[in-house]
Amino acid sequence: MPLHLFGIRHHGPGCARSLRAALDELQPDIIVMEGPADAQEVLAQGAHAQMIPPVALLLYPPDEPRRAVYYPFTRFSPEWQALRWGAAKGVPIRLMDLPQSLRLAQPTPATTGTPPLSPNPPEAAAANPAPAAQPDPTSAEDGPPPADRAPDEDFDHAVDNLPWRVDPLAQLAEAAGYRDHELWWEQQIEQRANATGLFAAIFEAMRTVRDEFPETLDRDLLREAHMRTVLRAVRKQGYATIAVVCGAWHAPVLDETALDGKRPGCKVSEDHARLKGLAKVKTTATWIPWTHSRLTYRSGYGAGVQSPGWYDHLWTSRESAATRWITTAARLLRERELDASAASVIEAVRLADALAAMRELRSPGLAELNEAILAVLCHGQPAPLQLIHDRLEVGDVLGQVPEDTPAVPLAQDLSRLQKSLRLKPSTMSQPLDLDVRKEIDLARSQLLHRLGLLRLDWGTHRSSGGRTSTFHELWQLEWKPELAVGIIEASVWGNTVELAAAARVIDEATRAEALPEVSGLLHRAVLAGLAGAVDPLLTQIQSLAAVGTDVRHLMDGLLPLAQLARYGDVRQTPAGHVEPIVVGMLERIVVGLGTACAALDDEAAQRMQESLGRVSQSLDLLNRDDLERDWRQALRRLMEGGAHALLRGWCCRVLLEKGALDADELYRRARLALSVVNPPAESAAWAAGLLKGSGLVLLHQEGIWEVFDRWLSELSAETFVETLPLLRRAFADFTGPERRQMGERVRHLSTASTGGPSRSATAPGVEPIDLARARVVLPVLAQVLGVPVTPDPS
Amino acid sequence: MAKKTPATAPATSADSPLQSKLRQHAEQEFAAELEALAAQDDRQKPPGWNLSPWAVKTYLLGGRLADGFEVSPKYVGNGKLVEIAVATLATDRALLLYGVPGTAKSWVSEHLAAAISGNSTLLVQGTAGTDEASLRYGWNYARLLAEGPSTKALVPSPMMLAMESGQIARIEELTRIPSDVQDTLITILSEKTLPIPELNQETQATRGFNVIATANNRDKGINELSSALLRRFNTVVLPPPDTLEDEVAIVSRRSEQMGRALELPCEKPALEEIRRVVTIFRELRNGLTEDGKTKVKSPSGTLSTAEAISVIAGGMALSAYYGDGQLKAGDLVSGMVGAIVKDPVQDQVVWQEYLQTIVKERDDWKDWYRAGRSAS
Repeated sequence: MPLHLFGIRHHGPGCARSLRAALDELQPDIIVMEGPADAQEVLAQGAHAQMIPPVALLLYPPDEPRRAVYYPFTRFSPEWQALRWGAAKGVPIRLMDLPQSLRLAQPTPATTGTPPLSPNPPEAAAANPAPAAQPDPTSAEDGPPPADRAPDEDFDHAVDNLPWRVDPLAQLAEAAGYRDHELWWEQQIEQRANATGLFAAIFEAMRTVRDEFPETLDRDLLREAHMRTVLRAVRKQGYATIAVVCGAWHAPVLDETALDGKRPGCKVSEDHARLKGLAKVKTTATWIPWTHSRLTYRSGYGAGVQSPGWYDHLWTSRESAATRWITTAARLLRERELDASAASVIEAVRLADALAAMRELRSPGLAELNEAILAVLCHGQPAPLQLIHDRLEVGDVLGQVPEDTPAVPLAQDLSRLQKSLRLKPSTMSQPLDLDVRKEIDLARSQLLHRLGLLRLDWGTHRSSGGRTSTFHELWQLEWKPELAVGIIEASVWGNTVELAAAARVIDEATRAEALPEVSGLLHRAVLAGLAGAVDPLLTQIQSLAAVGTDVRHLMDGLLPLAQLARYGDVRQTPAGHVEPIVVGMLERIVVGLGTACAALDDEAAQRMQESLGRVSQSLDLLNRDDLERDWRQALRRLMEGGAHALLRGWCCRVLLEKGALDADELYRRARLALSVVNPPAESAAWAAGLLKGSGLVLLHQEGIWEVFDRWLSELSAETFVETLPLLRRAFADFTGPERRQMGERVRHLSTASTGGPSRSATAPGVEPIDLARARVVLPVLAQVLGVPVTPDPS
Repeated sequence: MAKKTPATAPATSADSPLQSKLRQHAEQEFAAELEALAAQDDRQKPPGWNLSPWAVKTYLLGGRLADGFEVSPKYVGNGKLVEIAVATLATDRALLLYGVPGTAKSWVSEHLAAAISGNSTLLVQGTAGTDEASLRYGWNYARLLAEGPSTKALVPSPMMLAMESGQIARIEELTRIPSDVQDTLITILSEKTLPIPELNQETQATRGFNVIATANNRDKGINELSSALLRRFNTVVLPPPDTLEDEVAIVSRRSEQMGRALELPCEKPALEEIRRVVTIFRELRNGLTEDGKTKVKSPSGTLSTAEAISVIAGGMALSAYYGDGQLKAGDLVSGMVGAIVKDPVQDQVVWQEYLQTIVKERDDWKDWYRAGRSAS
């Protein structure tokens, strides 16, 4: 029999190992693999020495790169092993699956608004209206080709699979008494030490299942028809030994009987009829680097591998995989300065073994190992386990592709944009002056900002030089050759510059821990015109704001949001969603303000005052009476409470400006704050707070100057010198004319309070002035003031 | 060895009716189940164990035996945790049950000891005043003076008895025990021996001996375990109930029972109010709203299921004595604030934020919002 079928599970390390052994034994003349036939040309490049998995075979219509389809390969993928085996032995490899050129041409329902390729769930969830867009985990492991899980694929999975065909593994696992189908396969196949007869057994099992539950899905019937057609052609070419590597589900309909057309539904004529007259689109294929994290379910279109790191580990350390896994985990913990002694490792291994025994497993699986690590090494704390999950179970592995790989869609998109925006890449450094009111300049600016978000620093943004207008942007452009590599790396984020930048910025935001970081990203996303990223970023801001304990972060993050809410911006960013978030943040600020302002030292109070200023500014922008009222109440509480004197003084001032504090109260507060019983430094800080900002408001507050004056004159010489620098600083911010007017005021004040009749004359108990004696000094006074002496009227 | 009844185990003779006791030990209350399990247990038992690990698991999680005997579930929750606990004990490692108050730690520990050793009474209650004698041995001073140091003058601790008889010793609230006393455990756990220098003897642990300790991670003023000691335990964290429905069911059943026990002239609490109380508790505890969309701050208190029950019970009493007998938001909210605001500054912020950002937005929660505003 020339045809040898190897039904595998995509990305199963056990399958991969068994497949290699089987190929070594069989020594086939040709290997026929499941995989789109139109990728045949670039397939050979997979054998290139510089190709380091995880990588993905990428097929896309050149004019519509966002509809790309990915076929990821990892070190432990059976297909990858077959590919490498073939390359090493010089055995040709043929792809037999239905070409994507035909599949992409199939009418895809409502995929025009295809969600961007996102490496993380929030964006996928936010951008994708279809709730069923996540791949069905139970279906991900068998039949479908290696990883045809581009979003539109998911979509049609979701649509035409509503009565999803029977999950063959589920049937078998349930028959074997397992509830967890994944676990069943793991135990039965992947962890099996002796692989003899494995493929025959899989084949038998699948045949039984398919007899019970025949394939009904048109798309898969079409694919299988194509596979058979290719196999028939290969057989005709007269190869002696043919190895066929395909998903286990397909194996039963690809055997000799099926090829001879003797299996029901597999007649040659039927296959012809199915494949006839299909529409076709042009596709381009290439390789791109892939990451482990994008193989998981987490990425929204994973290839059905939950723990690529674990599979990779299984692949590399066959012997004592459990012990090595725990040891690696312990080393990782030690790296992070967490205790993980060798003795604990031993105990963890023992516990994992005991758990496996209790669960009647051959050897501990990932679940047992995780539980043992949690109980022994992490002392029940989930946080270090999460670290192990991220770093080991998923892993941070990034693949590599050779330099001469055909251009990725992202690069094509970029060159298309460069052409249409008339921005030629040049290695010469040259300036670019943009006026973002013009459409083309706006698009250019957005492109440069997007590239910046992708760490492709073609242009550096410079401050707008002499011009202060907001619509001018000054850039320095310099194309560096290494940017080409950067583009390939960035292509994991998406296939167009816009999608990739959005995906990247969202990913960064999900990793960010502090609110100002995310509002910074939001600012950049707005500049880059990434409308799709704004909502997810706002969501992230909201959730960080909810748990953030640092009220100052909230306060500092508020202003850019308020600006966005008030003005939208010149760049026509949709900003309707911003206001509720701003309101929520403000409510939290108001609630937490009292605590945040308690027990501050001078420096912290200074910073807090600046943050308070920003909030006030934001409120002025928003112009909402209810918020304004809350804010005033909060400031009043702050002013009356025990906050730092600087803040209390500042609150007084703001309330005065807003007309929420009348002159009498200001006078009363000033007297209290500047009373001699207070430490002079505190009084000085209060005064400094009151004097922040414009001086005009205070100029006409008669009482305040009186209090100032009294306070200053009552200071002892020593404390006066001490407080002098502080006061000097407080007054230094006023403009010259303001200072002069204040001086006038004080001069007038001093005459008024010492000898002026305005107040003292009315006060009881003051002796009436002896006019005769006063008149005696008038000539001298006139001399001093330089005014002519009026002759005595009497 | 394991079958030997230790001296401290209470006599369970026929003439002291168990029914008059307020509470029975696990091995007495569930004697029939343990017997049925033992009778059908044909699997391998670790040395010194009464039951095999599989039977112990069935005892805790409940199930139907081959002959149709129904074993009631003792622990409702993640079965994997029980598996880890049993596997830990089977590998001779000490077990530390860790978690917030009110998550059935002591309950699980008692039942594990009952199932494994048939005796859950070898118990050391950890307090700030627990001394070495409660973990090692004390002396009968009259004898000591009369006869000098001898085995007869020695008063063994539950720990020592457990070592001699090869049973499970339990330590409650391990973190309340002063650190220097905790250190006593290190030798016991690693060398499995208890030296008695006064007699130049030692007590070596019989197979089957092990230690289950419980500790909670919320209290302040506790003595954190040294890493040397922590290393000798496998830690299993018992979490609060998984789903809203589970918790609502537990709370409504228990609060109904409490209402009956207190003979409150009040109507059965409305499921809707219970659901809201549990929702508030869960959302604040998890720091996330039930729809998973909005994050909220968590207060410093535990907000355990047990506290939710007492809030409902308190509300029932309030409405029965001072209200119209119908459980309303106003009756519940004061108890609620008391449960949530443990730290007058930080928690107040948390509660206010929650009221303003979550409760206010929910249309059918207006009464709670009003009650919450007026209560604070």
